[in-house]
Amino acid sequence: MKDELKRLEQLLNEKDLDLGKIKELKSNLLKEHIKGLKIENYIGDYPTFMEPVILGDDVRIGDDVLIGPKVYIGKNSEIEDYAEISNSIIFDNVKIGKNFKLNNCIILKDSSLNFDNFSSNNCILKGIAESKDSLEIIPI
Amino acid sequence: MSEKRKKDISRIKELESINLATEDNRDLVVQTKREVEKDNELLAQRNNEELKEYNIKSIDVVGAIGAGKTLLIEKIVEVLSKKYRILVICGDITTRVDADRIQAHGAETIQINTGRECALNAYHIHQIIENKDLNSFDLLFVENVGNLICPSDFTLGTDKRITVVSTTEGEWVIEKHPMLFKMSHVAVINKIDLAERLGTDIQKMKDDAKQINPNIEVVTTSAKTGLNIDKLIEILEL
Repeated sequence: MKDELKRLEQLLNEKDLDLGKIKELKSNLLKEHIKGLKIENYIGDYPTFMEPVILGDDVRIGDDVLIGPKVYIGKNSEIEDYAEISNSIIFDNVKIGKNFKLNNCIILKDSSLNFDNFSSNNCILKGIAESKDSLEIIPI
Repeated sequence: MSEKRKKDISRIKELESINLATEDNRDLVVQTKREVEKDNELLAQRNNEELKEYNIKSIDVVGAIGAGKTLLIEKIVEVLSKKYRILVICGDITTRVDADRIQAHGAETIQINTGRECALNAYHIHQIIENKDLNSFDLLFVENVGNLICPSDFTLGTDKRITVVSTTEGEWVIEKHPMLFKMSHVAVINKIDLAERLGTDIQKMKDDAKQINPNIEVVTTSAKTGLNIDKLIEILEL
């Protein structure tokens, strides 16, 4: 899985994004590599997990959060209260605000989405944003 | 009032009761509660339609912690995995213990850790079936979170619901928890092998189930010895 995540990250960092390849690699990752429930080292108060879910170390999760199915969240990321995330890949050191509903999304490493109440489907999200308007959203 | 306290009260209002609502937000709380119930019903209906479209028979198994739900499903799966491709969705507060046990008998399993929620709801099942290739299965079991109260608030959209109680819970357990029996197709009285030693009045349990729901089928089992598992399978028309 590590190799596939690395490859996806490389594709996401290229200047001209190959969205077809990104989509294919993401689907393959979620279908073939994200299996079971690996949630041992998160910090939080018993969120809801729907298998398959894999969390990196020290992921911080707020209250009333629903994660899964088919979700990977990288280490040191922060998911605030009332979030609902499915079919998505969130890389390391990402922060998202309260009441995010994400399906079929990718959030790039070190992104910080410092606002609340956001819903999105089929997209790549990146950057440090204080509001929805300043967030970079790429449809996939 | 602290932010945490406000949040706790708001959560209780959302999930459990309108009694804590203040005068100015009572209408909103009542309306929200009604909408949640209605949404769950609609989604459950959709789940059932979708499962039927793929010719998947579906059964929700509810009961208190320790009633024997997991072992019953293990025993059923052991028999039926030769005939059906079985998917079992396991609801638990935390861990994958039950899913691992059932998986060892030939079913594919999906674990839902509900955290602080005391029952699965139709949305959980919807999310799972939307993300699964339903062509790969003929039979779905849902092992609900161990609880004899909360699951009565949420139908899931399965064809049938089984409520499992055990002789160790005492002969008043059915009389004291009528809601689930009212909405179930089958009542299983498990751990029948212990009834004599415990002195549990099985006839009272059977009578109570029938009095609450005259249409309910009642079967006594011992998941441990395998007694009447065949009878239960027959009742479920599997």
